[in-house]
Amino acid sequence: MSAPAPRSSMDRLDFFSSILLTAFGVAVLVESLRLPRLENLKVNPYTVPGLVPGLLGVAIAACGLVILLRSILRGGWRAGGDAMDWRRSAAVRRTLVTLALTLVYALVLFPLVPFRIATPLFVFVFIVSTEAMMEGRRPGLRAMVTAALVALATGLVVGYVFQHLFFVRLPGG
Amino acid sequence: MDGLSSFLSALIGIVTSTALIDVLWATLLGIVVGMMPGLTATLGVALMTTLTFQMEAERAILILVCMYVGAIYGGSRSAILLNIPGTPANAATSLDGFPLARAGKAGSAMAIATTGSVVGSMIGMVALALIAPLLAEFALSFGAYEFFWLAVFGVLVAGQLTALDDPIKGWLAGFLGLFVAMIGQEGIHAVPRFAYGSTDLAGGIGLLPAMVGAFGFAEILTVMRHEAYEVVRSKVDSVWSGVRQAWGYKMTALRSGLIGTFMGLVPGVGEDMGSWASYAAARQTSKNGSAFGKGSVEGLLAAETGNNAAVPGALIPVLTLAVPGSAPAAVLLAAMIIHGIRPGPLIMVEFPDFVFSVVAMVFAATLAMGALGLLLTRPLLLVLRVPRERLMPIVFVLCTVGAFAIASRTFDVGVMIVFGVLGFLLRELNYPMAPLILGIVLGDILDKNLRRGLVLSDGDLTPFFTRPISAVLWLTALVFIVLTMPGVRRIFTKLTGRWEKTS
Repeated sequence: MSAPAPRSSMDRLDFFSSILLTAFGVAVLVESLRLPRLENLKVNPYTVPGLVPGLLGVAIAACGLVILLRSILRGGWRAGGDAMDWRRSAAVRRTLVTLALTLVYALVLFPLVPFRIATPLFVFVFIVSTEAMMEGRRPGLRAMVTAALVALATGLVVGYVFQHLFFVRLPGG
Repeated sequence: MDGLSSFLSALIGIVTSTALIDVLWATLLGIVVGMMPGLTATLGVALMTTLTFQMEAERAILILVCMYVGAIYGGSRSAILLNIPGTPANAATSLDGFPLARAGKAGSAMAIATTGSVVGSMIGMVALALIAPLLAEFALSFGAYEFFWLAVFGVLVAGQLTALDDPIKGWLAGFLGLFVAMIGQEGIHAVPRFAYGSTDLAGGIGLLPAMVGAFGFAEILTVMRHEAYEVVRSKVDSVWSGVRQAWGYKMTALRSGLIGTFMGLVPGVGEDMGSWASYAAARQTSKNGSAFGKGSVEGLLAAETGNNAAVPGALIPVLTLAVPGSAPAAVLLAAMIIHGIRPGPLIMVEFPDFVFSVVAMVFAATLAMGALGLLLTRPLLLVLRVPRERLMPIVFVLCTVGAFAIASRTFDVGVMIVFGVLGFLLRELNYPMAPLILGIVLGDILDKNLRRGLVLSDGDLTPFFTRPISAVLWLTALVFIVLTMPGVRRIFTKLTGRWEKTS
């Protein structure tokens, strides 16, 4: 679905992400070497728990390194001007707002606040704020009422299905 | 004959009971999920697994199969009407479907897609019935060495095929998935790995919350990042002329069905490649190849036949090897395990009727898909008028509650969030998601069988390379990977070009 980024900006993104991935691969290898080898239990050395994760650490680091070298050869390490555009774009604002709202719901409201309050609140705020961002102005009364109805219906229907049909005890009281 | 009677009794069981109602609503819901840009078949099957885990096994699997078949087909609607593939499997569909819709032939295009999907699904279903029992019997001769290579083969080939332009990213995604499977207590000595004192991490990362995150939450972030799609207002012509047009390309449909089934069979590759490979083959063999991409009936038919044929194709390795042929099939595999069915080489011994029950489920879902797709053409257009700002928060609520409901752990909500953010970032960096998920499924198989194999051979690596099936697996993977590498592909194309000129 997502259109690929232009080659130059992808090389730049590859440069930074491959550093992280290579470091991650090395960390996995180090942590695998630190896993118990169960010598005191006299287990077969070929069955030590760190064997496969260690090999995977090497594979991840190797692939990361190849991507890193490739991006350096293509000049991806040089700072490009498009990074600023990326930060200012409406697409990024929409993504960050979505991320913030969903994180607050999943990590704060859902575990701590009763479901039938938390869910309508989240759905209402999400619809109103994203519609406002799309249209560039505060949504009218009709849009607010629609958002409230969708929010209430979601809280009631999803809550009923999971709590009363599937007997799932939802957190948040 | 045993197989046929098992199939017929399962089919009669579906048609003459309330299961028929399940088939209709689950397939319709699948079509709706597939139609909506941002809701994929994988997400649909994963969310539905969380809604059906308390049902009895056969009923739950029937609903999931219908959702899967319906969603892969449903994606063609938005591809034709909006030029936005409803699921990644319908990307090739939009190339010819959208130009047809713009030319005022949206109804015909939808009918061609429906016919192709039904034909493809039926071809795949026949292959499922014929190949699955044979493959299960063959897989009985697999030992630790063969299962190790099967896991390596799956991750490498899936990584290669889902990231053709940049296979290293595909492999890296697969390795990350394999690493995720290493978290938690390992299966031989019960030593917790990468748990750092957390009992939740020691229990391992659940496949379903991870998939709901990687395919649900990540997709919500992706959809909200992009501009809103235009609401469909196009007029729809009669659908029946489309069915007649599709009939004119019988051989294309047959070939696409076979290619799609084969692509489904290859671990982790699935419907997307089923569709693209069928489309490419049809274009190459067509008398009117230049019309492809400009509203070709043959191109649309090939793409839609290919992706739906891959659905039953992807179920073949799920049932017989416990290795998923695609991302939605990986969820289906997890659902089967939740419901106490143990897919793998012993399936024809332990659950001999189950394979043919799945064949009957695919058959029922295909008929429902065809009927609903043709009869509800206009009412289904309303689905595409739902604005994403109202749909996405509801989907996120379902992702959160669904991730929590499986084991009643808030930890799983955290897993969903982490995999969602990770999935979104990896996608933005052009890393494919399917090898990552396949890696999570295959990690345990790879880990246990490498270590068991080394114990059996006392550290000698020779049997990994010399046993006949092992040799076939690693050689095939090697040849395949070398041949599809961009550099080698360029050389190969140059050489064949020269050869064609001289001959």
